[in-house]
Amino acid sequence: MPAVIVVHGGAWAIPDELAEASVAGVKVAARGGYSVLRRGGSALDAVEAAVRSMEDNSVFNAGHGATLNTDGEVELDAIIMDGRTLGSGAVSCVKNIPHPVSLARAVMEKTSHTMLTDKGANLFAESIGMSTVPTDSLVTEYEWREWEKHKHYVTGVMEDFNSQWAHDTVGAVALDHAGNVACATSTGGIRNKMVGRVGDSPVVGCGGFADNCIGAVSCTGHGESILKVTLARLILSHIERGLSVADASQMSLWFMGERVLGAGGAVVVSSAGQWAATFTTERMAWASVENDVLSYGLDPKDVRKEKLLFE
Amino acid sequence: MLSDMLPVVVVHGGAGFVPRQRSELSVSGVCSAAGSAYGILKGGGSSMDAVVNAVTLLENNPAFNAGIGSVLNVRGDIEMDALVMDGKTLASGAVSAVRNIANPTQLARLVMEKTSHACLTAEGASQFARAMGIPEVPVESLITDYSRMRWQKNLAADANPVECQMGKMGTVGAVAVDTEGNIACATSTGGMLNKMVGRVGDTPCIGSGGYADNNIGAVSTTGHGETIMKVTLARLILFNMEKGQSVEAASDSGLALMKSRVDGLGGVITVDPQGHWAARFSSLQMAWAAAQSDTLHYGLYTGEHFTQNIDDPESHYPKYKA
Repeated sequence: MPAVIVVHGGAWAIPDELAEASVAGVKVAARGGYSVLRRGGSALDAVEAAVRSMEDNSVFNAGHGATLNTDGEVELDAIIMDGRTLGSGAVSCVKNIPHPVSLARAVMEKTSHTMLTDKGANLFAESIGMSTVPTDSLVTEYEWREWEKHKHYVTGVMEDFNSQWAHDTVGAVALDHAGNVACATSTGGIRNKMVGRVGDSPVVGCGGFADNCIGAVSCTGHGESILKVTLARLILSHIERGLSVADASQMSLWFMGERVLGAGGAVVVSSAGQWAATFTTERMAWASVENDVLSYGLDPKDVRKEKLLFE
Repeated sequence: MLSDMLPVVVVHGGAGFVPRQRSELSVSGVCSAAGSAYGILKGGGSSMDAVVNAVTLLENNPAFNAGIGSVLNVRGDIEMDALVMDGKTLASGAVSAVRNIANPTQLARLVMEKTSHACLTAEGASQFARAMGIPEVPVESLITDYSRMRWQKNLAADANPVECQMGKMGTVGAVAVDTEGNIACATSTGGMLNKMVGRVGDTPCIGSGGYADNNIGAVSTTGHGETIMKVTLARLILFNMEKGQSVEAASDSGLALMKSRVDGLGGVITVDPQGHWAARFSSLQMAWAAAQSDTLHYGLYTGEHFTQNIDDPESHYPKYKA
């Protein structure tokens, strides 16, 4: 079976000054995830590698580069899901962890639980010897400036999002040579969010879902709207009843816009290897690789292709 | 035109196995919660008011694993999860790993109504509770002798808390349709016995612990949380109903898939917009009660379905022999 990876760097009104870096970031992440698949690695390893690469990249709102809450603190959410077992791992509201997606994977693999939150997630990170970093090292100059600018607006969250100025989530889906699918999603949430706010990203069926019998999805956009329609699971339910991945994504995002007035985006791969990157926001940086061909884009209908060379 | 089967409310007190000496407490608890919520609906109250009322009563009842009577985590502390969802707007409110409050479901409703968010967790949820003027209660006031006894038993080196509690959960939940056809659900839990600090189960996760949509229906779930999340059980059952299955068939096929695919047991209560309802479970027991057309329905074991007039002061619950 030909392996596929699709990644996104968040669906929002990406300003021109971040456009080039966002596109470069998703290309690197997709290539990194694909090289895991290419050497026979699992879908799970590939999505983790792709998301880690974007968590390290400060242009994205996840890990390094995350947004700040009302207290000026970073609180991170992440999920990873294995389509073979339907097992998932998630962390919400975790602090000082540079790679929340890897902590989420440890929750899945090393505990009998699925989700750990807040201090409990940090206690677990400590117990498995995961290194922590000071908050300051996760926050960029850009984010401090934006936060200072916005912190006086208590109602900022909804308005920010309606103008699509909210910085968003990263995620990846993959299908490996063995036919397994996986998804991973990681985020710093919404700027100026309340302390303890958990969005859609770590909630199974909302921020992501993976099932070998259907496919895998990772979502981005207005978290509270994604939760209302359990977007990842909704897209997969349409694929289950025979829609193409592109139609299933479009129909679900359209429904989210109609029913709850939310905009967002999703990357999807089916267990048959079909894939799509779809969004109803102004822009979404995305990239995919199959058969050594990298596709990527930023604006609607913008699809560029490059042949990748591997040693 | 709205069905004459409205209003309706269904509640559950957790799927699993209730020790015999506690089974009557469970059945009478769900019956009085359903009766109270039905009174709200009959008086013209909303389905959201009804489900929050029912779940609040169950949280205040020490027989259930929610609010007072919640199970203890590995440190002997209580961390609770709750979710409410409004089927008209698809808005939801949830709290996870919240401590020192008596009624997490009411806090979840405030998250939905007073913030632009859908879920607050741990310390942030407590901060919000304080800001809303909700009194803090000491953890001791939520702990019962029974929950402390079970916690201590499971601290023993050879204990298997996962196995032990498979039988004895007690998540509570309610679904309702009001006379205007609005649908709501609520679910509340203390989680898993001897869980890790910060463990969040299915209950506060929309689509897993519950889901409500005026166009389809509502579900509240109970059972092994980690397994329910694997199949997003509440949303799965509603997908089945969207395909045309009845509340009963949709609930049974959702539970059957959870059993065959990921080897999990649980229970659900389900309603549709017309007022059809079901209380189904793959576990040995689930305490449940429903109120509709001035009749109270209830049961505990598979196949049990007792009815009595809602105004009948006499309880006719069967005496389960010890």
